[in-house]
Amino acid sequence: MLNETATRLCALWDRPHTLHGWLATVDHKEIGKRYLVTAFAFLVVGGVEAILIRTQLARSNQAVLSPEAYDQIFTMHGVTMIFWYASPILSGFANYLIPLMIGARDMALPRLNAFTYWTFLFSGAFLYVSPFLGQAPHGGWFAYVPYTNAVYSPGLNMDFYALALLFLTVSTTAGAINFIITILRMRAPGMAISRMPLFLYSTLTVSWSIVFSLPALTAALAMLELDRQWGTHFFDVHHGGSVLLWQQLFWFFGHPWVYIIFLPATGMISMLLPVFARRPIVGYAYVALSTVLTGLVGFGVWVHHMFATGEPQMAMSFFSAASMTISIFSAVQVLAWVGTLASGTPVLTTAMLFALGFIALFVIGGLNGIVTAVIPFDWQLTDTYFVVAHLHYVLVGANVFPVFAAFYYWLPKITGRMLDERLGKWSFWVMFVGFNLTFFPMHIAGLLGMPRRVYTYPAGLGWGGWNLTATIGTYVLTGGILLSLINVLRSRHGAPAGRNPWNADSLEWDTESPPAVYGSELIPAVATRHPLWDEFDEHDDPTHDRALDHARVTLMTSVLDAEPVAVAKMPDDTATPLYLGLALSAVFAALLVKAMWIALGAAAIALLAAAAWLWPEPERDVV
Amino acid sequence: MSVALAAPPTLVPHAVIERRRGTHAMLLFILTEAVLFLMLFVAYYYLGHSAPVWPPEPPPFTLALVMLALLVASSVVLHWGERQVDSGRQGRGRAATAATILLGVAFLAVQTLEYHRHLQRLQPTSDAYGSIFYAITGLHAAHLVLGLLMLAYVLLLPDINGDRRPPHRPLHNASLYWHFVDFVWVVIVCLIYLAPNVTR
Repeated sequence: MLNETATRLCALWDRPHTLHGWLATVDHKEIGKRYLVTAFAFLVVGGVEAILIRTQLARSNQAVLSPEAYDQIFTMHGVTMIFWYASPILSGFANYLIPLMIGARDMALPRLNAFTYWTFLFSGAFLYVSPFLGQAPHGGWFAYVPYTNAVYSPGLNMDFYALALLFLTVSTTAGAINFIITILRMRAPGMAISRMPLFLYSTLTVSWSIVFSLPALTAALAMLELDRQWGTHFFDVHHGGSVLLWQQLFWFFGHPWVYIIFLPATGMISMLLPVFARRPIVGYAYVALSTVLTGLVGFGVWVHHMFATGEPQMAMSFFSAASMTISIFSAVQVLAWVGTLASGTPVLTTAMLFALGFIALFVIGGLNGIVTAVIPFDWQLTDTYFVVAHLHYVLVGANVFPVFAAFYYWLPKITGRMLDERLGKWSFWVMFVGFNLTFFPMHIAGLLGMPRRVYTYPAGLGWGGWNLTATIGTYVLTGGILLSLINVLRSRHGAPAGRNPWNADSLEWDTESPPAVYGSELIPAVATRHPLWDEFDEHDDPTHDRALDHARVTLMTSVLDAEPVAVAKMPDDTATPLYLGLALSAVFAALLVKAMWIALGAAAIALLAAAAWLWPEPERDVV
Repeated sequence: MSVALAAPPTLVPHAVIERRRGTHAMLLFILTEAVLFLMLFVAYYYLGHSAPVWPPEPPPFTLALVMLALLVASSVVLHWGERQVDSGRQGRGRAATAATILLGVAFLAVQTLEYHRHLQRLQPTSDAYGSIFYAITGLHAAHLVLGLLMLAYVLLLPDINGDRRPPHRPLHNASLYWHFVDFVWVVIVCLIYLAPNVTR
């Protein structure tokens, strides 16, 4: 009977293996894989830019890059890593894993999911047209006015920045809405909110953060574009505008964004670290709560990016205190991980090594973050390499290392093949050493007074040695990343993974590796926080009530207790999200060159694509 | 672990077809749009905070009140239409939707007149006040146009309530958006048009 169910589910969910089938699929697993590959490609591109930056700075008075080229490359490095790698790679894991972790057949809005991927891809492609015109953004990733206004930055450089990011916010917002609905309403029966895997807590938290914070970026970017192209005066002090308005809006978005690219990574660590410590996580409720509180208090710290702008004393004290409060929530998480390790029997797999490396780097990045939250200290060090060191310890330490841990942990589920542990461990140690060689010396260069964003520096200031060390470290770090890339390519011939190679506890490990196109045959039911570690049989369903193999449907459950409430009809495959993404690309391209009639025409085509997307499918018996 | 585990309730309600995902997505979209308008109001006050006089001249508000009346009327009509649909009268619902569209178009016509007069005194490129004034009212107009397109699309659909063709409820979702756009105009009239005239 199960075989029969599998055959019927396959017929319902599989897609034709044609080009159109490939472009039109709305399967979360395919979309997740595309997200992972595309975001990783952006990591590689951003990495190449980093190598260029470090090569230029290896010694004093070098001329590998011209000043203008250096400005463009460091800006593209920051923008690429922060917007097109760090968040999308987490969306990739979330897209692939969340429906499997909650036992659903797909995301809540599968077509919207396909749309978020296409707009992510096209906005990135739009951004990367600019270097080929020699007009890449050059105002730094936070693009302060007045430097980025039309007077001081003529040319299309910052227009590319503003429009590509506006385009990306469409994708990010749509993705966040989809995650919120999926996580809140589609969990397997019995997976009450108190039993939810911690990765879902972190993804849910940052999705809410996106809904509330991203509009500030949208508003700021729209104003920048209006100022630059249409002569308005939002940021123009000569006509009553304010340059600080940009900073306020940007950082009101920007600091929550730091948590958006960091919290899901901690959520992944909270999933895999207990598996390799061979025990449930210590303090589940505290970790969940501190995740949510980090997201919440993350909205009250943005002014710590602006301590040097002359804000009122009272406001600065408040934001300084809030910034230090947040470290308490991070400390709770770190203590939970350390407690789990101390009371478990840890197994040092590659994934575990990356998790431990993350904790070490995160503690350093947290500590040098606390000192920069102290206002007098910040005044001394703002805009120096100390801040560069801090932000890389936090972002590389707390995003790239957890992401590599996650790859070593979940890639066997995605590809069905194990990675080589020996090569993986080599990769980890080379990356760890390379990372610290690169970024630790920057603390000292910063303390010695080296400002950020200089394309070169004179000899005799005592900075040369630290910079050369950092550059050597970059090459070592690159070598470590390449080892992992080779490992992934070689895993095509790796050992078959089987369903649950790590003896893990969460539901995605209950599917085949790689999972069938429909997920699991029966919608699983859950009785504890660790479904695969308890006695309860998730697939105990003698009447086949939960097979749902009569139509393309999945199960909806209640928000808190996850009791079944309805059957949800899922949409068929369609290429309309792709067409909508293409039409929007044309809109943004036309806005770039102020071809307003073309923009209007492309917008009309976009509306037609949306209309086709939303047209109801023929009546069909779903009951 | 030998503790007996209580089985969770798992009975699948096969007859209940889910229709709320689209509505929830619309509500979240409205929420993020509301924050976008909030950011613009924050910018309005932030710019005003550093200006000696804000706004430089209070805007005339008569036409804005006429526009407000049109939108409030449209929301009432649309709400009535939805209730008719709830009791099975899709024809009346369609008529109400069409009437709402007409009121929305009338709003845009009056706004064109208002802009025409206003532009003679103040332009988006005059100063920061002009920029933020037209940004807020212009963004609202863009939202209103999107709302009109949604309602027009609903009229084209074979089933405006999603009874026969799940999974969404087109009229309900579009009208949520319409009420939101109307509500934003209420806030705009209070903060941007009326308050500067009251306080001086």
